[in-house]
Amino acid sequence: MRITGSARIAAAAPEQIFRLLLDPAVLSKCLPGCEGLERTGEDEYRMRMKAVIGAVSGAFDGTVRLSDQKAPQSFRMAVEGSGRIGFVKGEGLLKLAGQDGGTEIAYDGEVQVGGMIASVGQRLLDATARMIIRRFFTRLSEEAGQ
Amino acid sequence: MATTVTKTEPIVGKGVRRKEDPRLITGTATYVDDIEMPGMRYAAILRSPHAAAKILRIETSAAAAHPGVVAVFTGDDTRDVGPVPCAASLPGLRAPEHKVLATDRVYYVGHPVAVVVAADRYVAQDALDLIEVEYEPQPAVADPEKALEPGAPAVHPEWPDNRAFTYQHEGGDAAKAFAEADVVVKQRIVSQRLIPTAMETRGVVAAWDAGMRTLTLHSSTQIPHLMRSLVAAMVGMPENRLRVVTPEVGGGFGSKLNVYAEEALLAWISMRIGKPVKWIESRRENYQATIHGRGHVDYYELAARKDGTILGLKAKIIQDCGAYHQLLTPAIPTLSLLMAPGIYRFRNVSAEIIGVFTNCVPTDAYRGAGRPEATHCIERMVDLLAAELKMDPAEIRLKNFPGPDEFPFETGTGLSYDSGDYAAPLKKAMEIAGYEGLREEQRRARNEGRFLGIGISTYGEICALGPSSALPAGGWESATVRVEPSGKVTVATGTSPHGQGEETSFAQIVADELGVDLDDVEVIHGDTGIVQYGIGTFGSRTLAVGGTAIHYACQDLKTKIKQWGAMLLESDDVRFEGGACVCNKTGKSVPLAEIAAAAYRALKLPPGAEPGLVATRFWEPSNFTFPFGAHIAVTEVDPETGQVEIKRYVAVDDCGRIINPLLVAGQIHGGVAQGLGQALYEEAVYDENGQLVTGELMDYAVPKATMVPHIESSHTETPSPVNPLGVKGVGEAGTIGCSPAVVNSVVDALSPLGVKHIDMPLTPEKLWRLIAKGGQA
Repeated sequence: MRITGSARIAAAAPEQIFRLLLDPAVLSKCLPGCEGLERTGEDEYRMRMKAVIGAVSGAFDGTVRLSDQKAPQSFRMAVEGSGRIGFVKGEGLLKLAGQDGGTEIAYDGEVQVGGMIASVGQRLLDATARMIIRRFFTRLSEEAGQ
Repeated sequence: MATTVTKTEPIVGKGVRRKEDPRLITGTATYVDDIEMPGMRYAAILRSPHAAAKILRIETSAAAAHPGVVAVFTGDDTRDVGPVPCAASLPGLRAPEHKVLATDRVYYVGHPVAVVVAADRYVAQDALDLIEVEYEPQPAVADPEKALEPGAPAVHPEWPDNRAFTYQHEGGDAAKAFAEADVVVKQRIVSQRLIPTAMETRGVVAAWDAGMRTLTLHSSTQIPHLMRSLVAAMVGMPENRLRVVTPEVGGGFGSKLNVYAEEALLAWISMRIGKPVKWIESRRENYQATIHGRGHVDYYELAARKDGTILGLKAKIIQDCGAYHQLLTPAIPTLSLLMAPGIYRFRNVSAEIIGVFTNCVPTDAYRGAGRPEATHCIERMVDLLAAELKMDPAEIRLKNFPGPDEFPFETGTGLSYDSGDYAAPLKKAMEIAGYEGLREEQRRARNEGRFLGIGISTYGEICALGPSSALPAGGWESATVRVEPSGKVTVATGTSPHGQGEETSFAQIVADELGVDLDDVEVIHGDTGIVQYGIGTFGSRTLAVGGTAIHYACQDLKTKIKQWGAMLLESDDVRFEGGACVCNKTGKSVPLAEIAAAAYRALKLPPGAEPGLVATRFWEPSNFTFPFGAHIAVTEVDPETGQVEIKRYVAVDDCGRIINPLLVAGQIHGGVAQGLGQALYEEAVYDENGQLVTGELMDYAVPKATMVPHIESSHTETPSPVNPLGVKGVGEAGTIGCSPAVVNSVVDALSPLGVKHIDMPLTPEKLWRLIAKGGQA
């Protein structure tokens, strides 16, 4: 599944957003369902996240890896997680650009799912992913405003 | 249609209500999940979420320590169990070793990896979450044509070309036929993967009796005796200490014509822990891990003269086998090849099957098993030819049938069609449908811009499977007919009816033969502890092969009855009639009950006779039977939505002599519903990574009752010479006849747009897009 789109955060410049996006404390607050995010190495985190996709819900344990960091313009993120309801594997590029004092964030990635979420939730996956992303940027925007 | 019948008139041919229905409709029938035993444990199975992966590590200690968990087993524990058997053999067949639990690799989503046994089902399920499996995902391939491309991921690394087998057949001279042809039509035709979706999922209860050293295996299966032989070998126990019991089975359709890993696994677990163990498959497991059906991509070419005479056929059949061979996987497309020419006269056939491994659950027999694919292709090809030659599809069919005097008819694929009058059901169906009037209505509709279609399919099928020489595990059937001391009759059949209604049709046969009331005949089946060895229920064989064994057992029994009657009547000239032995000289008679009492009391024996009144027969058929028929579907496609409305559905089937028209109607209705499912709604979809996207009933569209049209059903009756009952079989006919009739109808509806072929399922989206693009795919 391809996930592309963009979000606008009015109150903060790319430098600040870039910092927030790399802060585990901020990320765990912004990511819906995130139950823990801890740094395990240079640009590497362990994450536990609860997800609800239609009638299926469950927790994923996984890792988040950041690479190709070009502060404050872009970085790549690779996510891998698995749990009772299946697995998620994805990689994407986030680009930040200053715009009228705010930041335009463009994202483009490819996500693969497997297991139960693929077989029973695939048709809801698109909508669920969009919802998670929307909520994430809304909260990030709130964080940036504080 | 139900009739009350007294024993003075024959009950065969009457639409008596099913003896099995009261228990089924009052909820008093016993299915596997209804079985409870003291000390019973429950198993849950961890399945692979990956289509292809190496297993690096499995950590079960947390699951094993979970309260209520009795044991956790992985592939390391079960190396000596199995392998899961494939009974089909073809020259050069590549058969991967199919272990009951994965060891180093998984090959499809749903592949069993570990099993938890616990004090209750919910604990077992919860504990699955505590098993950690470290996978190293590998590239997967789910599409059979992509799997054949060079460089495709290898499903089994030892066979990088993914070819499970190839099989070729040349009949007549196809090259010559094509060289002489005026016209050749070609088409790629897909018969999509389907999920059988029996209402009752699979289930197993295994109970080891440590004292008796016997194992009883309750399983929802179509083949209890074959399962006993095969599971005994899988768990390494003597066959005579394993008893397989088949309680009520809530639908099989071929998906339970199999021996699965779970059956041997549960047997092994019960012996290992010394307790009864139950496993009931969830619907999601059923979709991932019970066999699928169809999965064909076929390339057909049909050669003909310009007057419509078909000269020959070339066919390339690509069968998606999935990751393993289940019991009959490679055999199914061989039935497609045999049936490829349909019921037409030409004998020049050049055909090839390529079996392909994919990272999907195996395909195997599903209602029709190979014949719906073949019929769909030939019936589409004949319509394509008719369109090319601007001939009426009925006319071109009538021109190409062998005549009724040409039977037995030898086909270009080596079959001998037993009997037939192929024009008869087509003409009857056209008469019922009002064919000429429908074409007139179609012209008017087209003038109004409406898409009205008329589709014909004329099918034949291979039934009454079959001669043992043509089957992987014996094609005969057995029967014991026993007149009890009271005169009541018990019939033990080696078949395993599970919804088809043979408890009724068999009782009808016996009631007529022995002159007893239908209610006095009890038919037992599906328990290897009480029924002599048999083969089972599949391939529309139960009545034609199993019923015939009963017929012959009755003949033997009547000889014995007459011996006893002669003694009791003190005459050597007696006949058996209306449930009594009658002296031809004096007219004195003695009823069966009295004869039975004498035979068991045995105070005096007729010369050369034994006590008791029992006869057992094992009957081997000399040939298959070949039912046939014609279905006509009238459809209208809504150009705004792409929705197909079935306006009329006419089915005229010839299944030989009809024992019970009510049962035949039931089989046709159910068969048509499943054919309709394939034509319009159903498709098992794997994504490019081998993930099953249609993993539950929310995503896999089985037709509901409201989606099945009224079926105008009728028959012609051409008796089969293969068996003395003259019956042919009807279990799969509806499915085989239906999908080409519906697709031909929809293609006919959209033909003004230039549409020549559409692959199933004909979903509204597919048709809407086609219409929106003016007929260009």
